[in-house]
Amino acid sequence: MTEAQTFGALARFRLMAILCGVNLLLLIFGYMPAKHIFDVVQTHQWMVFIPVAHGYLYIIYILTALQIGVQKKMSLPVILALIAAGTLPFASFIAERKIVKKYS
Amino acid sequence: MNSKLKKLGQGLLVLLLASSFIALGIWQLHRAHDMKMSSTVAVDTHIYPLANLASPTGSIPPESIGKVVSTSGHYIAQFKAPHQKDGKGAIADWDVALLQTDTDTAILVVRGLWSDRLASPEIVMSTKVEITGTLLPHQNDDKAENTAQQLSRLDSSLLTGMTQTQLFDGFILEKSESTRSGAVTRTRIETPILTSGVPGFYWQHISYVVIWWLMALVIFWLPIYSRRGNRIKP
Repeated sequence: MTEAQTFGALARFRLMAILCGVNLLLLIFGYMPAKHIFDVVQTHQWMVFIPVAHGYLYIIYILTALQIGVQKKMSLPVILALIAAGTLPFASFIAERKIVKKYS
Repeated sequence: MNSKLKKLGQGLLVLLLASSFIALGIWQLHRAHDMKMSSTVAVDTHIYPLANLASPTGSIPPESIGKVVSTSGHYIAQFKAPHQKDGKGAIADWDVALLQTDTDTAILVVRGLWSDRLASPEIVMSTKVEITGTLLPHQNDDKAENTAQQLSRLDSSLLTGMTQTQLFDGFILEKSESTRSGAVTRTRIETPILTSGVPGFYWQHISYVVIWWLMALVIFWLPIYSRRGNRIKP
């Protein structure tokens, strides 16, 4: 594994962890109240892009988490924890910080 | 023996998890399919009596929305509904009336453009009218200020303090109206294109299909990965 490949995988994981984390916060603290409390999604239909974007960003996030996990020979629970971090608010930011601290 | 049992258990666990994820993906695929189908509005030209499709005690059933209904009664109030958008996207002020039906219930009806409100002076409160039109759900967003003569949105809940009659949810967008003297001719509002939900949700469900099936692949791959050994803990 070259250093460039490792750097690339790490950079991709960092990018997706941040994008996925921001999108998840928008989903939970923006879209969810808008839909279930204020019922304004029908009138502000641009908001539907938040959950749609989250779905696709999370797919890419899983792939980057798998790549960095395999490259760094992480254990199965750690890889699964990295994947799960994309579904919990703030968890992907914490995962990103921990991985960067350890491998950069 | 123990090792074989352990491997068998692991294999069964992998199969159980993977099949669960595949099933969840299939479920999301069906939801996406249902979403797509529900956005395709079937053309139904049949005219239904209003009472067959809706009742004043609850909201309009989703399957009744967009159906052509007929009813009769007397107009008991008239309102202006400003800044309404028709099926062609044209924004105008609409002439809305509250129609008290023969069964002592009432429903909002959009008769036409506000500018044409004086076009049929023969219709007064005592005139019995028969109408047909498209049954639509109530609006949620205000388009203007709500006053005694003006409706901020097409929603019968705004009129609950005004009348003792039971009010239907939603409203009828008139296609035609007639009295004993014959049909009333005036410009009618183009029916808005009906969408059964917020567009975009189809692709959201498709993304979940990909996620669940990707997770199933990961579950199949993890035992192979773990057998390679030499893992380090971060």
